[in-house]
Amino acid sequence: MNKTFNNLKTFYHKLGSSPWFYKISGITIPYVALFSFLFLSIGIVWGVFFSPTDFKQGDVYRIIYMHVPAASVSQAIYYTMTVAAVVSMIWRMKMAGIFIKSMAPIGASFTFLALISGSIWGQPTWGTWWIWDARLTSTLVLFIFYIAIISLYSSFSEKKSADQAVSILTLVGAVNLPIIKKSVDWWNTLHQPASIKFTQSSSISPEMLYPLIISIFGFYLVVLLSGLMAMRAEIAKREINKEWFKNY
Amino acid sequence: MTNLAKRIFYKELVSYRKRSSTYLSPIVFFLITIALYPLALSNDPADLSFLAPGITWICVLLSTLLSIQNIFNEDFEDGSLDIFFSLRVSTLSLVIVKILVNWIFSSLPIIILSSTVVFLLFLPSESLVILLTSLLIGTPVISLFGALAGALSLGKSSILGPAIVLPLSLPILILGTSAVSSFLNGENPSFYFLMMLAIFIFLLPLICYACIGALRLHYE
Repeated sequence: MNKTFNNLKTFYHKLGSSPWFYKISGITIPYVALFSFLFLSIGIVWGVFFSPTDFKQGDVYRIIYMHVPAASVSQAIYYTMTVAAVVSMIWRMKMAGIFIKSMAPIGASFTFLALISGSIWGQPTWGTWWIWDARLTSTLVLFIFYIAIISLYSSFSEKKSADQAVSILTLVGAVNLPIIKKSVDWWNTLHQPASIKFTQSSSISPEMLYPLIISIFGFYLVVLLSGLMAMRAEIAKREINKEWFKNY
Repeated sequence: MTNLAKRIFYKELVSYRKRSSTYLSPIVFFLITIALYPLALSNDPADLSFLAPGITWICVLLSTLLSIQNIFNEDFEDGSLDIFFSLRVSTLSLVIVKILVNWIFSSLPIIILSSTVVFLLFLPSESLVILLTSLLIGTPVISLFGALAGALSLGKSSILGPAIVLPLSLPILILGTSAVSSFLNGENPSFYFLMMLAIFIFLLPLICYACIGALRLHYE
């Protein structure tokens, strides 16, 4: 028990060292790329060409293999950024700041993808591109948060204070997001009763569910891949004059 | 501690009174934006009285944005914030007093002024008390967010502040307008007041310490 804890602790300390991360990520990136390509292509091809046609929506529903993974990833990225913000606030670990800086644009892009694919899906099925539904509104707010984080980061010239400022904003946003979500729900029930149930019925058939799960997994791998690459680029940018980087 | 807070309070009062633009420009802005809505939407009293709570809340929210740069900026530029952070005194009282004085000078006049929407936007006069109460409870939270945004964007572009404050203030906007419209529908609005009060109490210590952290960034 004690040994595993010690191993975890050394792993955690190693995670904070940028040369170690640079080396390890260089080794793992090809494998992650291979697996993300595999999962994504299997999930998408299976979902788009081989899964059965929905009897209500027809073939339009196949955008689900793009939309649901993007939406799930967009929220998960914010949670991981919150954890990194706590680490960065308490232990001042510079890798945590690099993580937030690199993940924010990725999160913003996937949130944007979720909004766009949702609205492309909405047009043929609901007959409208946009509706002020609770979920759509809170996704839009999440997108605005990502943009605010990116713009706050870019307004600081000093990297260290930029990391801290972004961590503060990420934490305050994480505390507020549940409040926003809840209040948007109240607002929605007051102004317009949810005419369209957005939630997927749980009775989705397995032939549709398996490719969906595979493509969700593929999206997470793509996020991992792009996150590793962005963090590597950020490390290279910050430590280009360090001795270890010149000898790498 | 309390003595220090009192002194900062008086100093802030004097400095706000000397710079009349800091509290006059939100008032002017508020009146103009209120006047824009009937011009752009419709001058029909029935339409306006339906939209009045939402319009008032949006105008209050936007006009408080004008003053968030003032909370810490002047002290930052003349260096008194620098001295304050190098002394071994409580920075918490500084932040709280500054937020309080900013609220008194930028939000309170607008809240008092917003009672004119009874005439300007034909708000049903019996719901005025509800609107004012919702503003009184809701605007301190917006001032908290404004202080955080002001502290984060000290000496930075001024567009950054609104980009941080507005998404954070959505719950307050929703709860504040819902309080009035639920009253007009004949329901009891106390749920929304309690909710806003809970948000304020929950966020007060959190945002104050976040403000201190954000201010410290500029002195590292």
